Amino acid sequence: MSGHAAIVHDLALETYGFGGDHPFNPLRIRLTLELCETLGLLDGYPFVASEPATGEDLTTVHSLTYVRMVQKAGRGEGDLWELMHYGLGTGDNPIFPDMHDACARVVGAVLEACRLVMRGAATHAMCISGGLHHAMRSKASGFCVYNDAGVAIARLRQENPDVRIAYVDTDAHHGDGVQWMFYDDPAVLTVSMHESGRYLFPGTGGIDERGRNGGIGYSVNVPLEPFTDDESWISCFEAVVPEVLRAFEPDLILSQNGCDGHVLDPLTHLSATTHLYEYIPRRVHELAHELCDGRWVATGGGGYDIWRVVPRAWSALWAAVSHQELPEKVPEDWPAARGWESPVKLPSLMRDDPADYPIAEHATEIADHNRRTTEELLERVLPLIQKCVSP
Amino acid sequence: MLLVEDSMTRGVVVLSPETTAGEALALCRERRIRHLPVLREGGLLGIVSDRDLRSAAPALGDPGRTEALRNLQVADVMTRDVVITRPDAPIEEAANTMREKRIGCLPVIEDDMLVGILTSSDVMEALVRLIGANEPGSRLVASMPDRPGTLAGAAGIFGVLGINIVSVVAGPRQEPPPGEQGPWRAAIFRIDTINPTEAIETLERAGYSVLWPPEP
Repeated sequence: MSGHAAIVHDLALETYGFGGDHPFNPLRIRLTLELCETLGLLDGYPFVASEPATGEDLTTVHSLTYVRMVQKAGRGEGDLWELMHYGLGTGDNPIFPDMHDACARVVGAVLEACRLVMRGAATHAMCISGGLHHAMRSKASGFCVYNDAGVAIARLRQENPDVRIAYVDTDAHHGDGVQWMFYDDPAVLTVSMHESGRYLFPGTGGIDERGRNGGIGYSVNVPLEPFTDDESWISCFEAVVPEVLRAFEPDLILSQNGCDGHVLDPLTHLSATTHLYEYIPRRVHELAHELCDGRWVATGGGGYDIWRVVPRAWSALWAAVSHQELPEKVPEDWPAARGWESPVKLPSLMRDDPADYPIAEHATEIADHNRRTTEELLERVLPLIQKCVSP
Repeated sequence: MLLVEDSMTRGVVVLSPETTAGEALALCRERRIRHLPVLREGGLLGIVSDRDLRSAAPALGDPGRTEALRNLQVADVMTRDVVITRPDAPIEEAANTMREKRIGCLPVIEDDMLVGILTSSDVMEALVRLIGANEPGSRLVASMPDRPGTLAGAAGIFGVLGINIVSVVAGPRQEPPPGEQGPWRAAIFRIDTINPTEAIETLERAGYSVLWPPEP
């Protein structure tokens, strides 16, 4: 398996953040890229620049009224109560200067990554700032203002009407925004594995959400029990993702690689380690080669332990995208060379030591529960997914 | 809000008393419905369910079944003493009637005319909308002393943190947690935030007991 890899990034993408002590902190992007660079993983991979998404791009999946609201908010205009109807100015999605521009840049970068892969300029591409999967048509939600994957998929479908796209989301939260945007569409398969909505935002993503009308069967949800560990998570992934992707036969895979299911993440209740975040991209990579000539675009997503988890998890992601070995050790001069001091003790190894994360008390029950979920899910969706839908 | 008219099914499929049981059963299958009001000149005469129709004819496989379904009229099988509701009735009242009388469907009558039916699926749908379960949010259950101001206090904490409440339902009285006095009550909030951590901490500092999301 080979092919040319590209990384789409520029400094302007790091303006997407909500300031103060908000958990969605763009420093996590900086820390990740600095770690990749220190490890030598960026040698020979210059950043590919991109243009911000245009109004026309954004309105493929967002309403024009909403885009105008984001623009107003970013200029410091607009009535706060009115903006709040659009999810702007809330605790989750505070208003920040020039927010439209910052958000449109993230979308533009993911769109560029998709176009590079679609036209064959790269086999795989990564844009670590992307993955804002909660953004709705007319509402900011869960730290997400514009839905980069939604826009990129809709645009690719316009530019290549026959293209079939599989969206694979392994963030700890349900990929609701992307799911609802393509809920009727049998040419877009959305697969989301996440902590059950019973316990975690956004509360949706049960196995009964399978799509609607012509798109029934093309929304696949794997809700996992709290405290699900690597082993159970991986067996659920293996039970579902290769099966549904093979049934669908995509032309391109777009993966959202939120790493907030890590046991150290402050926002969720899952118990994964870096092993999972090394495993998933390598498997998605293999599936992309098996099913669609390697065409694979990877984005970031959630991940709120920005010192100990995100930089290592997403370095592993980039290593998979760019066919490089993941080094063993965290370099000593990262991130101190920049004068940054972590508030927590940083790990010295790139991979978590399983001995540090003993098996949870109820691991067997949790794994059994998850296995039953995947069995029931497959029974309900697999017969509905077809390789090609006649118009 | 939350009246029968907000949740009832309009455009109801109705029968005349002379409709045959066979025709009525075919309608149930085609339209995937289980309850059919029987009308004469707009006035409600009775109601018939697919089960009534099936059990009125000889069992499936009996040679006389088809013949019976052709000859039987819905007027012969329908329930004449129909429990009804009104469009301006609160949905919880209608739901309670359905529960007590163990029936799955209430015709909705206004000025002697049938304007809709309320089925148990309609009530379920109203419950989902009431809880806001189809909108993004985090589920949080807080238990508090059952006295004036405690629910307002919890709601105020969300307000101060800039978190919108999608829905709130106060549950029945319950035993207080260990070491506390008097009746308590749990409130189920659905809050529009991906990050309830600070809200949970603040609630607990203020003396509320957060029951959901469960602790590790």
